[in-house]
Amino acid sequence: MMNNDDTIDPIDPALATRFAALRSELAGHDAPRCVEKELLQAFAKQFPKKQLWYRTLSLPQWGAAGALASLGGAGVLATLLLALAPHQAITVGPPLIGIDDGAAFIALESLERIEREPYTRVVEAELPQTALAPLGMPLNPQTAGGTVRAEMLVAEDGHPLALRLSAVN
Amino acid sequence: MTLITDHTDTELLRQVHAGQAAAFTTLYRRHQGPLYRYALLRCGSGDAAADIVQEAFMGLLTGRLGYDPLRGQLQHFLFGVARNLALKFDEARQRHPQLPETTDDEGEPDLDSASEADGPLARLLGNEAAEEIRRALSLLPPHYRDPVILYELHELSYQEIATVCQVDIGTVRSRLARGRAALAKRLRPTLEGMT
Repeated sequence: MMNNDDTIDPIDPALATRFAALRSELAGHDAPRCVEKELLQAFAKQFPKKQLWYRTLSLPQWGAAGALASLGGAGVLATLLLALAPHQAITVGPPLIGIDDGAAFIALESLERIEREPYTRVVEAELPQTALAPLGMPLNPQTAGGTVRAEMLVAEDGHPLALRLSAVN
Repeated sequence: MTLITDHTDTELLRQVHAGQAAAFTTLYRRHQGPLYRYALLRCGSGDAAADIVQEAFMGLLTGRLGYDPLRGQLQHFLFGVARNLALKFDEARQRHPQLPETTDDEGEPDLDSASEADGPLARLLGNEAAEEIRRALSLLPPHYRDPVILYELHELSYQEIATVCQVDIGTVRSRLARGRAALAKRLRPTLEGMT
């Protein structure tokens, strides 16, 4: 901005020349870079960036999320295996079918094998009714196109151990 | 599209307080130079000038300074902040034992008696003529130094200097005239050599 007063006091020309030299010399003088750096650090402290949601999860929360994902994945996988090739998914002997509290229970592995398994999980799954016929379940022609809600007991590695059929859709 | 560098100071400040680092950087780079140069001439020390710039922007960042755009330009407000910080710097320096300040007939400090110890004489500038007047400036009492620096180096108007220094416009005019006269007197031998 230029001086804009109505009356400007005159200055000694030689002094004015010196001031011009000083202005010119100072033109390249800026605050040291470290000042900007320190101010930006202070800014970052004052306005911390919001963390993405997945960075706010604690280790146990990550564990729980991983377990849920594993269950979901195993359920989908088991459903697909049973739907597409049920005879290949079930590897050992004739299934053991029983009635457990009004629901059908199908052991896909021997009871010894199931008892030996140290870590098992229960996975919710929807199975096509047609996939149950090879397991020895009677098939109702009127509901043959429907699905059955099932709880599947799976081993730690995702291998299906048993099925519990809870409802017919 | 509008570049952030085109934004007004007020708009940038609003963005700063909304947490936009780019706005703060733009604002800093826009104003740090004049502020640093003012503080450098005012204190005669690069370190003190850097501290003053940092402190002024820190106050702006935290909102501690309470800048009101309706009361003037940000640049002039920052000059006022820097001046207050420089006064504190002067106070810290004056804690050392010093001879009592002599006054002239009008009760104003006698500029001719200003001790060379009043200003740091370490060489700051490469250009001889510039360094010479900088040294002469550093020997002026601070309340004469302020109007001279702001008028001659930063081209502020009398009114703007009056606002920065919190004095009336007549005082600015008289201090500027006396400051110039003292500089001319101190530099007379070399100034006469130039003509």
